[in-house]
Amino acid sequence: MDTEALRIAVVGLGKMGLLHACILNTMPNVQLTAACEKSLFTRKLFKKILPSVPIVEEVHGFSGLDLDAVYITTPISSHFSVAKTVYEDRLARNLFIEKPLTSNYNESKELCDLVANYGGVNMVGYLRRFMVTFMKARELLVQGVIGEPTSFAINAFSSDFYGIREHAKVAASRGGVLKDLGSYTLDLALWFFGNVQVNSAKIESLNGGCSEDAVQYNVKQESDSLRGTVSVSWCIEGYRMPEVVLSIKGSNGAIEVNDDKVSLNLNNGDKSTWYRHNLNDNIEFWLGGPEYYREDAYFVKSITNNSLAEPSFETASKVDLLIEMIQQKAEKHD
Amino acid sequence: MIDSNEKLLLVGDNPFHNISHLSQERARARIEDPTDPKYAASLIEMAVENGANGFTFSVSESTLSILKELGERGIIERLHLYPVVPYAFEYVRLATQLGGLPALARKFGLEMVKSKNLSGIGLGLKGALTANPSSLIKTYLGYEISRIKSSVNKRVCIDSVLLHQLITDMALALDLDWLFDLYVNFILSKKMIPGFNTGNFAFLVDKFVEWNIDLRKVIIAAPFNKVGFQMTPSVEECEKALSALPEPVVIAISILAAGYILPEEAAKYIERLPNIRGIAVGISKEKHARETFSLFKNALGGSNISSTEY
Repeated sequence: MDTEALRIAVVGLGKMGLLHACILNTMPNVQLTAACEKSLFTRKLFKKILPSVPIVEEVHGFSGLDLDAVYITTPISSHFSVAKTVYEDRLARNLFIEKPLTSNYNESKELCDLVANYGGVNMVGYLRRFMVTFMKARELLVQGVIGEPTSFAINAFSSDFYGIREHAKVAASRGGVLKDLGSYTLDLALWFFGNVQVNSAKIESLNGGCSEDAVQYNVKQESDSLRGTVSVSWCIEGYRMPEVVLSIKGSNGAIEVNDDKVSLNLNNGDKSTWYRHNLNDNIEFWLGGPEYYREDAYFVKSITNNSLAEPSFETASKVDLLIEMIQQKAEKHD
Repeated sequence: MIDSNEKLLLVGDNPFHNISHLSQERARARIEDPTDPKYAASLIEMAVENGANGFTFSVSESTLSILKELGERGIIERLHLYPVVPYAFEYVRLATQLGGLPALARKFGLEMVKSKNLSGIGLGLKGALTANPSSLIKTYLGYEISRIKSSVNKRVCIDSVLLHQLITDMALALDLDWLFDLYVNFILSKKMIPGFNTGNFAFLVDKFVEWNIDLRKVIIAAPFNKVGFQMTPSVEECEKALSALPEPVVIAISILAAGYILPEEAAKYIERLPNIRGIAVGISKEKHARETFSLFKNALGGSNISSTEY
């Protein structure tokens, strides 16, 4: 292995941890140096699959490995404690955390304070920022192609827990749909439109127990020049894969974007549609979708160049603040 | 086993799972229901009458129902079967709902016990107790092959078992040469062709050459289309790797770039490529079933294609 390669470890060998570990291992300037996993079975299995990579039970086990960066892909409730340990034990300077940043705004704020003390590159995995369709839609908005935006709507749906009452506990352990799929909608709102305030919200539990399964909320910009309506649910039939659709109305036209395409309809009658095929979606290694590689390559490049990576912890903490505002405003509907 | 000169025209199963890589919205809006096993079997039957000679599918309850339906119609003996394992989407969904890999492993263990396959249970138990990946992989493959065989009669031709793209590409990324060796040897021992579905064709060919895996003994399913959709890292690199193969072992998939390009254009592109053993294309409408395969039959050289009679 190249001595200049970045030494990166992954915490959590679930779906997202494995995906990042695999992609990072294909990058010529990265060495997958270690992994941390709580489950004994998974740990034993991966010790045999990757004999040259130390698989430890606790993140303290990374001590002495001279890591450049750590990816945290554990359940949301443990993001804060793992990240705090990484910083305070000086296990690595640079940190990537899967979305959302932490379970609550106080923890996220404390992490931002730690970053101020310890420095390094930090980033949160809001994947849609690396999807070519959403990148194109934002480019159109920033270029003013539809004029001043006046309203937007976001629908984020999946069938992950459609008609599955017996797994309400698992749904709850994922933090509920607002923190899971809903955090994407908040990050998109912030990325596209800047700071917004929550006007009203409703949270529903569709599968029983204490899980949050469907959320509707309304936001506005402080100036009240832009309003947005958002609907999120992981209990909708027919969404084999999670889908996020953002529609924006502006003074000169409208944009609609989802994971597959971007449509532009101008008031003068001009129309255009771009699919992934038209948007230079190629990457070096395909796993899960091109945006995963693009996201990891961007984080690695930010470390190499010692440049700011977005969405940073600071940016992502705003999502956590909005989540709390929604929860405070919401009326519970069981 | 398949005649090595015979070109493969495989019906793909994506529409039967309601998948559209061009637009999920489009998949939801389909009027006909390609997920209905009877409708799916009718489409396959129509495709066979128009040149198709095989079926490639992820092993799931719904595709196994389609196989049973094809058996009842007497069509299945005319098909080369190219199952893909595991049905990654279903396992990822289950892991999400059940709470991760250990919970999924427990559920799979229960399924194995229900199957009453004693040698499989023994091997699986050993694999689980010692967390031995080789035993677990063999147990799993044996289980999936037995699921397919129990859905079809003994005269049916399962040419190959393809490793799902997600697993192939994860194993490539992690440099798991032993896993590819194990897979090749296990599938060959079952008198079938080891197959690999990949989104990283050029990378895979390079690695197989490096690991001395005989490219003449495998089948590789990978995207090939004129717009380079899902051709990683580029059209040029994929075509270069294709030219370097010793024999035609590639099944071109995503040939219509998820419906982005017309079948006629796709056929012209495929026609000029070397080392293409066959194509796989999904169909969701009767019109597609009637027209698509005759077009690609000509593109691949009609004389080498036949609907197999057993």
